[in-house]
Amino acid sequence: MATPEIAIETAAKPEEKRPKLRSYSGALVVVEGIDGSGKSTQLHLLKRWLEVGGYRTYFTEWNSSPLVKSATRRGKKRRLLTPVTFSLIHAADFADRYERQILPLLRSGHLVLADRYIYTAFARDGARGCPVEWLRNLYQYAVIPDVTFYFRAPLEIAIRRILSGRPRLKYYEAGMDLGLSLDPVESFTKFQGLTLARYDQMVQTDNFVLMDGTLPVHQLQQKMRDVVAGHIELKRFKES
Amino acid sequence: MTEPINPAAAPAANHELIDTVGDSDALSGSFGASGVARAPVGLPTRDRGELSGHLIVLEGTDGSGRSTQIALLTEWLESQGFAVQTMGLRRSFLIAKDIDALLAKNSVTRYTLALMYATDFFDQLESRILPALRSGMVVLADRYYYTLIVRAVVRGLDHEYLHRIYDLALPPDLTFFLNVRPQVSFEREFQKSPAISFWEAGRDLHLSDDLYESFIAYQTMIRKEFVALAKKHGFAALNGENPIRTVNADLRKRIASYLGIRNIRYKPSHSLVHLWQ
Repeated sequence: MATPEIAIETAAKPEEKRPKLRSYSGALVVVEGIDGSGKSTQLHLLKRWLEVGGYRTYFTEWNSSPLVKSATRRGKKRRLLTPVTFSLIHAADFADRYERQILPLLRSGHLVLADRYIYTAFARDGARGCPVEWLRNLYQYAVIPDVTFYFRAPLEIAIRRILSGRPRLKYYEAGMDLGLSLDPVESFTKFQGLTLARYDQMVQTDNFVLMDGTLPVHQLQQKMRDVVAGHIELKRFKES
Repeated sequence: MTEPINPAAAPAANHELIDTVGDSDALSGSFGASGVARAPVGLPTRDRGELSGHLIVLEGTDGSGRSTQIALLTEWLESQGFAVQTMGLRRSFLIAKDIDALLAKNSVTRYTLALMYATDFFDQLESRILPALRSGMVVLADRYYYTLIVRAVVRGLDHEYLHRIYDLALPPDLTFFLNVRPQVSFEREFQKSPAISFWEAGRDLHLSDDLYESFIAYQTMIRKEFVALAKKHGFAALNGENPIRTVNADLRKRIASYLGIRNIRYKPSHSLVHLWQ
């Protein structure tokens, strides 16, 4: 497993223009994975642990910016989005959150916990057919996380978790725009499979910490806390 | 703030007509009202099909006369038997209103604005421009992605970052650059509306508290980037300070030669003749 220093250096891929030196004193912990992989539960538990421990922590999740909400809703409801506009509207949403929330928090020395980050776009929009290099360029301004946890559960298990909790799938969520199947559940399953394959490819290239989503919750959480404590100098974030 | 909209370019009216989806976004057992899967949507670059039409772009700073020229060219081309579709910035059905709201609030950051404009651009490209080009129309664009690149670059975004976003877009067949000095832009913009707007003066860049100074400084930066792009991409640069009919004659000559039109004589109809004065 890579140390954070190595992660920052290797992340500056030749085609990317990321700043090599950190311009912020905060730290960024990211969870990634397909729906039903257990990532949100784990990040929630990590947040509890850090808050109770008295660390300056901030939680942020994808698709929470009110800025593009109406456009995104319009596009989804009327099914106007193509792979490119779907990707761009989410990129605009991310940029707003990044510029107004994530980066200022990192600059002011917070421990930022992100439920999904740029890798979600690489996996999901890549599965939709957007070229990987184009997607990487779109997000090249975003800093590389200190740790990225990738929660990986077998497709059948993830699908079962999602479908048991939420029987109605949404059009784009199910990847219906890709014409994979007329049946939403079948389409969703195929689309999640494509997304999962994209995530798997990034384990090496993006230094993901692989987490086996089939393990018991408390066991995974213990590993997560160990990794965070090993990668990040937590005492810097202690509330005074 | 609103750019003049050619009546021919009513914002993607098609979307309104084909909205049979209703209010619910959720899918139950089977999908869709018609029960037919939508054809998968490809990328604009890889899904062009046979483009028998022509994409002609007019670029230039505020007050360079683009909209006037497009109104005249539309009439002329239609009189020559060409079907014309126009496009401009912030006219997409998907996101134009949201950009307007954002600009009015003035709390937007530079990447977000650049990416919202990109969304607006690609929505128009994919839902209106490519279909028009496939059906053989002449598309006259009042600004294209070059403006979006220039505006973002003067706000500090990387050239390459922007060019790579628009790698997926269709490059124009013909691009004209209407070159005017910022002082002339100012006079013309002031004639259009009696007060200078926040964005025309680039006030988000905090160049000067003096609005005239801010306007000139901002438009100078924009123009400099345009001139560089014009060189790099071989735009046909025209002196936009010449009289409207002179610029129009020049545009007609070049477009006629590109489209193979013999007759470049043109006199505006009664409804447009005021533009000729």
